Amino acid sequence: MNLLIAIVLGGMFGVGVFQVLRRNVIRSAIGLMLMGNAVNLLLIHCGAYDGVIAPYTTMAEATPELQVADPLPQALVLTAIVIGLGGFAFVLGMVVVLTSRYRTGDTAELNELKH
Amino acid sequence: MMNPHLLLLPVLLPVVAAAVMLLLPQRFAGVRAWLALLTATAGLVGASLVLVAVAQGDRAVVLQVGGWVAPYGICLVGDVLGATMAVMCQFVVGCGVLYAMGCVDKCVKYPAFYPLLMTLSAGLSGAMLTGDLFNFFVFAELLVISGTVLTAMSDHRNGIEAAYKYFYVSLIAAFLLLVANGCLYAAYGTLNMADLSVRIAAEPDVAVALIGMVMLIAALCIKAAAAGFHFWQPDFHTTAPTPISALLSSVVVKLGIYGLLRSTTLLFPHRADEIGTVLVVLGCAGAVFGGLGAAGTHDLKRMLAYSTIAQLGFILAAIGWGSPVAIAAAIVFSVNHALAKAAMLMLAGSIASVASIKSASFSVVKGVGKRRPFAGVLFLFGGLALIGLPPTNGFISKLSVLRGGVSVDAWIALVLLGLGGLITLTYVARALQSVWWSPPVGGELPPPKRGDSLLAPAILVMGCVVLGVWAEPLVQLGDAASAWLLEPSAYQAEVLGAHADSATGSLVLDAQTTLDPTNPKGGQP
Repeated sequence: MNLLIAIVLGGMFGVGVFQVLRRNVIRSAIGLMLMGNAVNLLLIHCGAYDGVIAPYTTMAEATPELQVADPLPQALVLTAIVIGLGGFAFVLGMVVVLTSRYRTGDTAELNELKH
Repeated sequence: MMNPHLLLLPVLLPVVAAAVMLLLPQRFAGVRAWLALLTATAGLVGASLVLVAVAQGDRAVVLQVGGWVAPYGICLVGDVLGATMAVMCQFVVGCGVLYAMGCVDKCVKYPAFYPLLMTLSAGLSGAMLTGDLFNFFVFAELLVISGTVLTAMSDHRNGIEAAYKYFYVSLIAAFLLLVANGCLYAAYGTLNMADLSVRIAAEPDVAVALIGMVMLIAALCIKAAAAGFHFWQPDFHTTAPTPISALLSSVVVKLGIYGLLRSTTLLFPHRADEIGTVLVVLGCAGAVFGGLGAAGTHDLKRMLAYSTIAQLGFILAAIGWGSPVAIAAAIVFSVNHALAKAAMLMLAGSIASVASIKSASFSVVKGVGKRRPFAGVLFLFGGLALIGLPPTNGFISKLSVLRGGVSVDAWIALVLLGLGGLITLTYVARALQSVWWSPPVGGELPPPKRGDSLLAPAILVMGCVVLGVWAEPLVQLGDAASAWLLEPSAYQAEVLGAHADSATGSLVLDAQTTLDPTNPKGGQP
């Protein structure tokens, strides 16, 4: 993993955590999405070995110097993106219902369950 | 040798059933319910056959899905632990469906209710039977999303708030699990649990893998609602519709327990001591504070939700001790607690359903038990199982935990757990006294109305008593499972089979390439 990607990834995750801790439900939902994407980026970049050409399509050109990229993390990240998409859509759906039912978007006021 | 395709029954059948139910016209509510019951029964039969085969001498039933052998394909592994957990899940899911069929809540009539219940069941059994870490994440997510939607559609007005809180925490747990997957893959180049176990044993101290381990344990602690990771749990389990909260509080939290058992015995046995210490501390804290939380609430269902934290504390401590007796105790306790807690939550829901307003708050349900004397008898036996008194299975589980603690001389932990057990006695007695023995609020019972059916909790309580009186099979199963778990080489050999050697050789994808320092990226981020 090169340094640039590591910095971008850390920055995204940090901004995500900061936003998740905000009191506005929409901001925190967006923070969640940022965190999710940072994790996906991490997944792409943690292949078991380091290749430079696309797997399957250019397999014949592979040499020891010009290894194919590890296809497994790419498959994993596709699955993770789909699951993340479903989850994020669901969070936004819940935000809509929550704000209309509680008449507020402030997480500190969403506490009717506190006994 | 039995047909390994039976392993697909509890995983694939619910998904198919959910799809069929969604295609049915909306008015066929009865058909959906019966189809759900049928599916759960078929899943139970499939899982039980696997368990019987495993108990009779097959070491593990392994299905290499699609003919792609491990470690390249994804496999389903029905070993003693996975099959026991799957049988437990399918049984409780079946009882949950049975309860939902006799439930007067509005939400069980929604067309999406049973399909979601089925996907929840598929996620649960799938996660416990899979042999692949990423697949575990996928099934766990399926479970989390289904459970959250089911809670969000609850009759309880604040169900959406609890669902929102839970989903946030769960998504973060899912991210941790993904990071763990990524780190372990970067370090060892595989995600098959058996293959990972071989490679971790060969090269235990890779820094990236250590990060992965910590992330994995943290994610599993969130799933298991260990003390300190439990903030979402009481709200979530209180506001869910009764059949769902019975499942969530009994079997869904067992997913975390299952994962922790696998982590300490299969994936990271060389770190079992460190993980174990954390788990014992969390477990003792959970047993005491969960108990105090339960004693301090004003709501019957919330009390039982807190009680889950306390009971899981016992299991976590037993996993943490890690001796053969303690691991067996954790498995026995998990099964017994699932039956008792599901029954208790169903009884609480059925009492709430005959109260003047639909609530399980003590101020509402006080004295209402007079309308449901039979529920009182069941509650007494379920309560005995929670406290751990004979003739119920709770006694057997507490006794096994005691033996486990004695086997490692963990006296301080045992004293704390004993304290937690005593608190259980106070809150169960208070609930019984308030609901069945006190005069109703205002001196008058609410007018009689049709409440939830008591069939499902009766079956579960009967299970508690049967497993209490005739405990030998389950205890033997626990012993067999702990012997199996503490011998990871047997699991590796069963899953990898003839490919056990290739795990360390030949392919492009091997550890040599991964850890080659001359490789510019070296595979390590």
